[in-house]
Amino acid sequence: MAHLELRDVNKAFGSVHAVRDLSFSVPHGSVYGLLGPNGAGKTTTIRMIMRIVLPDTGTILLDGEPVDDERREGIGYLPEERGLYRKMQVLEHLTFLGEVRGLSRDEARRRARFWLERMGLAEKAHTKVEALSKGMQQKVQFAAAVIHDPPLVILDEPFTGLDPIATRQFKDEILAMANRGVTVLFSTHVLPQAEELCTHYCLINRGRAVFAGEAGEVRKRYARPQLKLVTADGAAPPLPMPGIHKVEPRNGSYLVHLDGTLPVPQVIREVAARCALSSVEQFEPSLEEIFLRAVEEDHVSVA
Amino acid sequence: MFRWRKALIVARREYLARVKTKAFWISTLAVPAVLVAFAVGPTLLAARTGGSHRVGVVTADAELFQRIKNALEESLQRGKELRLAVTLERLQPSADREAQRKELKNAIVEKRFSGVVLLPETILQNEGEVKVEYLSANVTAVLLIATLEKAVSHAVRQQRLANAGAPPEVARIALAGVDLTPVKVTKGGAESRESFAASFAVGYVLMFMIFFTAVMYGMIVMRGVLEEKGSRIVEIIVANLSPLELMFGKIFGVGAVGLTQYALWLMLAANVLAFSASAGVPGAAAVLTNPTLMLAFVVFFVLGYFLYGSLYAALGAAFNSEEEAQQVQNVAGWVMALPFLFMIPIMNNPDSPFAVVVSLIPFFAPMLFFLRMVLQTPPLWQVVLCFALLVATTAFVVRLAAAVYRVGILSYGARPSIRQLFRWAMGKA
Repeated sequence: MAHLELRDVNKAFGSVHAVRDLSFSVPHGSVYGLLGPNGAGKTTTIRMIMRIVLPDTGTILLDGEPVDDERREGIGYLPEERGLYRKMQVLEHLTFLGEVRGLSRDEARRRARFWLERMGLAEKAHTKVEALSKGMQQKVQFAAAVIHDPPLVILDEPFTGLDPIATRQFKDEILAMANRGVTVLFSTHVLPQAEELCTHYCLINRGRAVFAGEAGEVRKRYARPQLKLVTADGAAPPLPMPGIHKVEPRNGSYLVHLDGTLPVPQVIREVAARCALSSVEQFEPSLEEIFLRAVEEDHVSVA
Repeated sequence: MFRWRKALIVARREYLARVKTKAFWISTLAVPAVLVAFAVGPTLLAARTGGSHRVGVVTADAELFQRIKNALEESLQRGKELRLAVTLERLQPSADREAQRKELKNAIVEKRFSGVVLLPETILQNEGEVKVEYLSANVTAVLLIATLEKAVSHAVRQQRLANAGAPPEVARIALAGVDLTPVKVTKGGAESRESFAASFAVGYVLMFMIFFTAVMYGMIVMRGVLEEKGSRIVEIIVANLSPLELMFGKIFGVGAVGLTQYALWLMLAANVLAFSASAGVPGAAAVLTNPTLMLAFVVFFVLGYFLYGSLYAALGAAFNSEEEAQQVQNVAGWVMALPFLFMIPIMNNPDSPFAVVVSLIPFFAPMLFFLRMVLQTPPLWQVVLCFALLVATTAFVVRLAAAVYRVGILSYGARPSIRQLFRWAMGKA
């Protein structure tokens, strides 16, 4: 049974259909990337999971049961819109949030100390929040999201505004949680980050899932092999040509997208027959390219 | 389902965060200081300006002048606490009236006299009322003028009686006045000789405190909600709290701060009263030691605070900044200030149908019904009706406010229209 499952979820704000017929399921222990351009409906989807807004139709199941206020306690949540009480001391603040998450006061304080230590903020325990840098505040917010050791953690754009060191730290924390068997769902529009961490993806565009599933499968299904060509005379290979979807100039070389109708060696022979090549290289497209292509095709299919 | 534990966690944070601030302690000390300044200040100031006066009396009649002087002396002696000192000086009327009048006016402008009483020569011949002019730079010195008027009237009557050959015993009888002492009769037939003015003053101050603190703490709630929206902490919290638990936690926490402040003020007041018991403001003590009134005071504060506090919480949730909330807040402020307009008619007749009706309106009841309770115990059915209406309205308003709060707290967009607010209150997001 999936840890979290969305079935045909819809949400409209006035005339804006923010999420339509969205379904995906997050397996136990997965690191699940919720991907999509700005305004795709990622935050609305997460807010519906957290019951901050309620879906118009459709169901959201946690361990097979509809999410309610009690079951929601088992989710750690870092919202996209996040902040802290500016005038509170860091340790006190984290303790308060631990209590809100359902810990006893003593336990909350103990874990708050532990997390401050772990995040490298131990000396800041009695500093007021407003005196912390933005990155430090974000670490406190991150700690607040996971302080009660929830089996499912949802992070909405966790990396925005972080410097590379803090980004690394957050990624390590996500991987450490995954190793402990915690399910992590996070949204991002920065795809290399998702590629590095995720075992599963769901790509949302304009409120709908363009694809959803295990990372390898997504790649197998959507990734068309690509060729990088350098022609002897520097001119572009002539088009149209069988098996080729399109050609993009790239810094003196050409990126050739195959359409998958012909096997790769045959395409290479076709190209070689039409122009002089000085080098050919085959590689897998990045998630970013899959993403861009999927979004592009999505637009074409709707238009 | 409402979870008290969650609301209490929020309330405790709210309470500690506020009680720890300097602002709390400053306002705790400043408010009584301001109230005392308002209560005592004018009296002190009046006493100072009451001060000493030199008053001229234009009359040819030395005997009449002496009588005026005696009457004045006696009345000043009786009203010693008013701290009014007046020295009279007899001025001979001159043949040239106009010239003398001009000269006297100069003397007044140059402050040689506070004022001059011009007694007409015919004053003793006439048997009816006589117009006597009093020239002064300050014709609003009510206390001085009233004292002079009384002294002159008394002396003129005395002299006329003597001139008419009335025997001294008759004159004494004719001149003896009556002192009207108000005795408050309460339900059950008990009498109390407490100083009515003092008990009213304390009632007024307490009523003002209910108004002032309900508004002040309501606004603290509103600012707190706005701060939570502004700092974007709301969503971090509402993952584990329902908006209702957050709103109530906040209202409880701030309310507890208010009750703490009240407790400190009452302790302070008790000490001040004990200290000045000898100096004696019996009316004040009567109100402050009346358990019914004190209970009513606390209950009205708590209910009034919940009524207004939840409205302010909804305002804070609906808007993004205090400026945006200003307009609606102003309207609320006007409505809340209305009781001060109704105060005088209620004081004049606390049992009139008008007084009964306006004091039962739940938005005014915390102030006006309390005022009526201070003035005159209302019948039990009114007390029951008042509390029933107030509790029901508060429950209803809290429900509406919670609906607006639930939607508003997470909306960061444009300022909502009145129609939108209404839709939110009806539970349609």
